[in-house]
Amino acid sequence: MNGTNFSDLRLLLPELILVGTALVLLLAARRIQTAPLATAGTILAALAAGLVSYWLWSADPKIGFGGMVTLDGYSQFFKVLIASALAVTALLSERKIDADRVRPAEYHALFLLAATGMMFAAGASDLLTLYLSLELTTLCSYILVGITVEKPKSNEAAIKYFLLGSFASALLLYGIALVYGVTGTTDFAAINSAVSENGIGSNKIFLAAIGLLAAGLAFKIAAFPFHAWAPDTYQGASAPVAAFLATASKVAGVAAVGRVCLVAFDSEARLVSMVLVGFAALSIIVGSIIALSQTNMKRLLAYSSIAHAGYALLGFIAATSQFGTSDGAAATMTYVFLYVFMTLGAFGVVIALGERGENLSSYEGLAAQRPGIAALMLLFLLSLTGIPPTAGFVAKFVVILSVLSTGHVALAVLAVVCSVISAFVYLRVAVLMYMKDPGEPVPSRCPRTVYMALAVAALVTVIGGIFPGRFTFWAVGP
Amino acid sequence: MMTNFPLLTVTTFLPLVGAVLVQLLGHGRLVRWTALATTLVTLAVSVPLYVNFDKSSSELQFVESANWIPAWNIAYRMGVDGISLPFIFLTAILTILCVGVSWTAITTREREFYASLLVAETAMIGLFAAANLFLFFIFWELMVVPVFLLIGVWGGPSRVYAAVKFLLFTLAGSVFMLLAMIALYSEFGTLDFNELSGKTIESEFQAWLFLAFLAAFAVKVPMFPVHTWLPDAHTEAPTAGSVILAGILLKMGAYGLLRVSLPILPEAVKLFLVPMLVLSVVAIVYGAYVTLTQTDVKRLIAYSSVSHMGFVTLGIFTLEQSGVEGAVLQMFNHGIISAALFLCVGMIYERTHTRQIEDYGGVAKLAPVYSIFLAIFCLAAAGFPGFNSFIGELLIIGGAFKTQFWLGGMAIWGVALGTTYLVWFYYRVVMGEINSGLEGLKLELNTREVATLAPLAFLVLCLGLYPECVLSYLHETVDALLTAGAIP
Repeated sequence: MNGTNFSDLRLLLPELILVGTALVLLLAARRIQTAPLATAGTILAALAAGLVSYWLWSADPKIGFGGMVTLDGYSQFFKVLIASALAVTALLSERKIDADRVRPAEYHALFLLAATGMMFAAGASDLLTLYLSLELTTLCSYILVGITVEKPKSNEAAIKYFLLGSFASALLLYGIALVYGVTGTTDFAAINSAVSENGIGSNKIFLAAIGLLAAGLAFKIAAFPFHAWAPDTYQGASAPVAAFLATASKVAGVAAVGRVCLVAFDSEARLVSMVLVGFAALSIIVGSIIALSQTNMKRLLAYSSIAHAGYALLGFIAATSQFGTSDGAAATMTYVFLYVFMTLGAFGVVIALGERGENLSSYEGLAAQRPGIAALMLLFLLSLTGIPPTAGFVAKFVVILSVLSTGHVALAVLAVVCSVISAFVYLRVAVLMYMKDPGEPVPSRCPRTVYMALAVAALVTVIGGIFPGRFTFWAVGP
Repeated sequence: MMTNFPLLTVTTFLPLVGAVLVQLLGHGRLVRWTALATTLVTLAVSVPLYVNFDKSSSELQFVESANWIPAWNIAYRMGVDGISLPFIFLTAILTILCVGVSWTAITTREREFYASLLVAETAMIGLFAAANLFLFFIFWELMVVPVFLLIGVWGGPSRVYAAVKFLLFTLAGSVFMLLAMIALYSEFGTLDFNELSGKTIESEFQAWLFLAFLAAFAVKVPMFPVHTWLPDAHTEAPTAGSVILAGILLKMGAYGLLRVSLPILPEAVKLFLVPMLVLSVVAIVYGAYVTLTQTDVKRLIAYSSVSHMGFVTLGIFTLEQSGVEGAVLQMFNHGIISAALFLCVGMIYERTHTRQIEDYGGVAKLAPVYSIFLAIFCLAAAGFPGFNSFIGELLIIGGAFKTQFWLGGMAIWGVALGTTYLVWFYYRVVMGEINSGLEGLKLELNTREVATLAPLAFLVLCLGLYPECVLSYLHETVDALLTAGAIP
């Protein structure tokens, strides 16, 4: 422990930018009555944070604040991704803020603070930092979900999310306490050496701790069986908030899972791998199958995001396998990077359609009325299915490659078979858009910012598919 | 001719450019003309390929290579050999005819229609020109989406069911190809066809890979028993969609067998030889019997494709020079004939709006020119001497007799059944008294339609009388394929 050094603050520059902007927005909240100013501020802050993170990128890790935060390629990758997701979400928010009469400054400040928590989670190298940063994120998220006070659905969603979320946080904290009890430390590296040196791998309390931690973290990435909050919450929350939860929030969770599995419990890789296989397989199966029966677009995307959480974990499974290499972690990072943009795109279309975006049946005949929007939706859906030449294919390719090359053949077969099921899910929407007659009036135009967000998402989805690695070549494991 | 002009890339992606153009500047007539111009230019651009192809070499020609994904050791590599070249030609020809036949048939959302058609053309040409498995897979999957839209948006009454069924069958097959491709890649770190065929792969691994690839290829061919998507898709698709499906898409499966299974997995091919031959024969005979019972014109032609593609897989798995050459020739022939038959049916459907055979009769008196065209294509499909299928089937049956006597016997039975259903079909539609429902309809073809059918009739007769114009491309490549795959 070498105490706090103020030069360490430099390492936290991206987070400081976000917090600073959030504070400015909150202080000036009374002055900022219109959305554009707050949106612009958030986007600028997000871009600045992302750029600084990218600029601070280096493969050799730096440790700051007495071992509480790590600055390495892994964390910087996730920080850039979170910042990009924040910027796109801010662009997407424009329409909803106006429609729902939400106070723009507070709304954006909450986003910024949530993103700050996520960035901390990506760089956490201590269970306590991890816990605090995830709490910051979820607390902001609870409020964001319920921020449209006048909508009962939104209130209901916020309460459900809050109750289940608090429970999950309690489990996580309990797990941390047990880990501390067994190993005497909360620092990731120290936990790892304590576990391997003292041979507490089979200690019952230690196993219980792993179970509790797994439950708490699975909740954050909405992996089965801790996924139940996601559909209700996404449906009740306004679409940009749901998009943020499905992307940035999940990314932060994945970053945390990776760090915990690959650093803290590295010496127990076999056990961790088994746990991950369970979560991944069940999430993929359940997410794909339950999505079949959804009639609400946001719920459908929620189940899709559950399945995708499972696919994302495949890379970590490879990394924790017997012959695993750090390629596995990079595969997961590639997966989540591309996943974020295609999911943001799909939510973007939901937002662009306004009232018509929610119900699946109101997508009927969309291609005849708004061919451009329908084509974009088709692109994102194809990408979510994993059909080349979209980014989703590259994402699937890398994770399946990683599990197959570490010998998990059954898991790879399961993954591809379920991708056929999910193809049916996504292409059902395509069928509605292209092969049915329009049932409802043409949706009204939406703000230009939404189109900008859609353009960004589409660009990444297409270029990421045609030139794999263009965006993710710098992914490295923790 | 050695030039640095990327001929294959241009041929492949020109239709894609056309698709974008159609989307951007198309309104009304301009859409059709842009599409037609694109397909014509694509054919014109591809002409140097056929002319300058060196038939005495079995190597890939017109090879283009560029760095693509250095981190994965995957290059953008295109090239053609004697097997792939005829299909590029076939694709280029058929797409033009598809535009021709859709000229008045497609009245809704023309921009999307022609864009889908052109994207499909890019996928088809790209597939046949791909020189590594990664590109092959990408074009393979790229093909699915436009065809899905073609069936589902512009198809018949139960088009949605047919489109979804087509999509799920194809995807269910192709995910296993994805798996096999990734397995090959993780084992050898390369996906180049040439490099892969030089690797020695453990027999058990080969067997699994073979089955995984077969899942994808068998659905596309389609082999018995995964053919059930085909009648629905072909029947419900608009004419252009049926042409694409029957003409090219079915060939993609057989082409995959020739390009991937035979050279890369020779041991597994030997291992599964008997089941494959049996399935082929079952497809021939079963397909023919089912065809006999059809009452719907399009369904009849669709089921006849199952039978005819059975000949192709039979020819491939004889592993005889004549059998494989016959199979490739027959793929080409079937592409022409089934496309032509679907065009014929589509043209008359546009006037009568019925596909039931019982609603027809005496068409010869109302539309003599049409009847002559239909006669040519029916005879060709039945394998009548002088028409193109005759040579192909003869070569296949010859190869089959060399392999196993009973195979040849079954194949001949299939030919007899084929003649039966085609002649009977022609008899019911064209001969006899004029059906009362047809009176007063102007059934005779117009100039545009004659111009659409004439090239195919020309090809049918040309190949029938001088099959060497396709076979000459095949000899060396097939020879090399069989010697490379031959193991003691």
